[in-house]
Amino acid sequence: MGFQITPKEYVDYIILAGEEIEKNGEYVTALDAKTGDGDHWVNLNSGFQKLISMQEELKIMELAPMLKKIGMTLMSAIGGSSGVLYGSGYLAASKALKDAGALDIDTLYIFLQTELNAIMERGKAKPGWKTMIDSLYEGVEAYGAAKEAGQDERQVMEALKRGAQEGRDRTREMEAVKGRASYQTNKGVGELDPGAVTMCIQLECLSDYILNHKL
Amino acid sequence: MLAGMAAVNPEVCYDREGEVIYRRKKTEKVGIVSGGGSGHEPAHAGYVGMGMLDAAVAGNVFASPDPARILNGIEHADSGRGVLLVIKNYSGDIMNFEMAADLAADMDIPVRSVVVRDDVAVKESTYSTGRRGIAGTVFVHKIAGARAEAGGTLEEVAELAQRTADNVRSFGVSLSSCILPAVGAPGFAIGEGQMELGMGIHGEPGIEQTAMKQASEIAEIMVEKITADLDYSGAETAVIINGLGGTPLMELYILAGEIDQKLRAKNITPVKYLTGNFMTSLEMAGASMSMLRLDDEMKQYLTAPCDTMAWKEG
Repeated sequence: MGFQITPKEYVDYIILAGEEIEKNGEYVTALDAKTGDGDHWVNLNSGFQKLISMQEELKIMELAPMLKKIGMTLMSAIGGSSGVLYGSGYLAASKALKDAGALDIDTLYIFLQTELNAIMERGKAKPGWKTMIDSLYEGVEAYGAAKEAGQDERQVMEALKRGAQEGRDRTREMEAVKGRASYQTNKGVGELDPGAVTMCIQLECLSDYILNHKL
Repeated sequence: MLAGMAAVNPEVCYDREGEVIYRRKKTEKVGIVSGGGSGHEPAHAGYVGMGMLDAAVAGNVFASPDPARILNGIEHADSGRGVLLVIKNYSGDIMNFEMAADLAADMDIPVRSVVVRDDVAVKESTYSTGRRGIAGTVFVHKIAGARAEAGGTLEEVAELAQRTADNVRSFGVSLSSCILPAVGAPGFAIGEGQMELGMGIHGEPGIEQTAMKQASEIAEIMVEKITADLDYSGAETAVIINGLGGTPLMELYILAGEIDQKLRAKNITPVKYLTGNFMTSLEMAGASMSMLRLDDEMKQYLTAPCDTMAWKEG
């Protein structure tokens, strides 16, 4: 039998991701100051710190209501565009997984795919536009391909992580279509997208959590 | 800021938790909700009251409110006949208001939206967000609000609001920048003796910087940009001469006089003027012109009674 992530364990992953985001503050903010308005990390970090402060409450919830609670919390605590995008992703995942008790190799895939679609729909944006979507899209694609090819769960999680990293790295050469970077004459070319960087951190943490604790 | 607005206006209440200003007296009608970043006062909380908005939701300075706050505004405005959202066209506002509309739908509150994109300084585009929503939005508040007050259904109110949005165009000029309190420095600079044509209400880049011009030349540019985008010939119109926050009323009246002459020379008949600060950008110096092409129904509701802090009629 493969891995199972209970709601309580998902909160453990959130704590890891929050710590990792916290550590990358200076790096992400410096990146954002070059192409955006410099507030991405501050806002995202306050969203994750808020979740960490709510861990006791979240850990005793069922999966779907917990995902909804995480989504609503991120929406308010992050605010702006990132907040509503992460919020939409989690809320859609909550609906899609309303009968699931835990995340396994199949339901985690549904989770990530639903999150990706919800973010693209809410942001009216596509892969290749130099956004958080690029990390998630490449990660989900790689996850799906590895799963389809019958690779074992360890390989599938490695694929998720590698895909997210490749997606993040590709944003360096992309031109921004939306957001503040799109007003710049060079459209942010030459720099990684800060939203893709922080999305990648979360997917790396998720993959590492499963690899280190569940497989 | 919102607490102060509620303190000076007994007709509204302030929901501190949700950063919402809403009407004290709730009547059974379609609710109208608008909102957006702060820094544009009196927009939008100043338009809450009889005949206009039922609730206004405020974000931080120049940042959209989040969906939970907007949902809170929707709930304050809902009397069982549905709610219309009036949204200015910015990607953050669109995403947050749409998300709030989805959440309201989950609660079985019928919601419709109208997006205002009146700033002709921005080219329309399929991919990017396209034209910004600026002071012309106030006409949508007024006409949709009056239609709702007159007992219109959600469909009727939404249709008229959309028609109003489709028939309004705006253009602004800025003589100085503004300072975001949280940042403490201007995000851009306009040189001494210079002005920027078509700057956004958050200081987004305009079309060009040019040497400062006379009021008559500024009026000429505004009228030409607006009438080149929509055919107003022979029409009755309503016009907002809007101050951006740091421009004396005296200068706005000078501009209004010049604009009026130019419109009449083009066989356009302004039947209603609003002159003053209707949608500002903190302390930015400058002005925008918004012009609505009226039909009989829009005219009827434009002049119907309303009682808000920033616009009183009848």
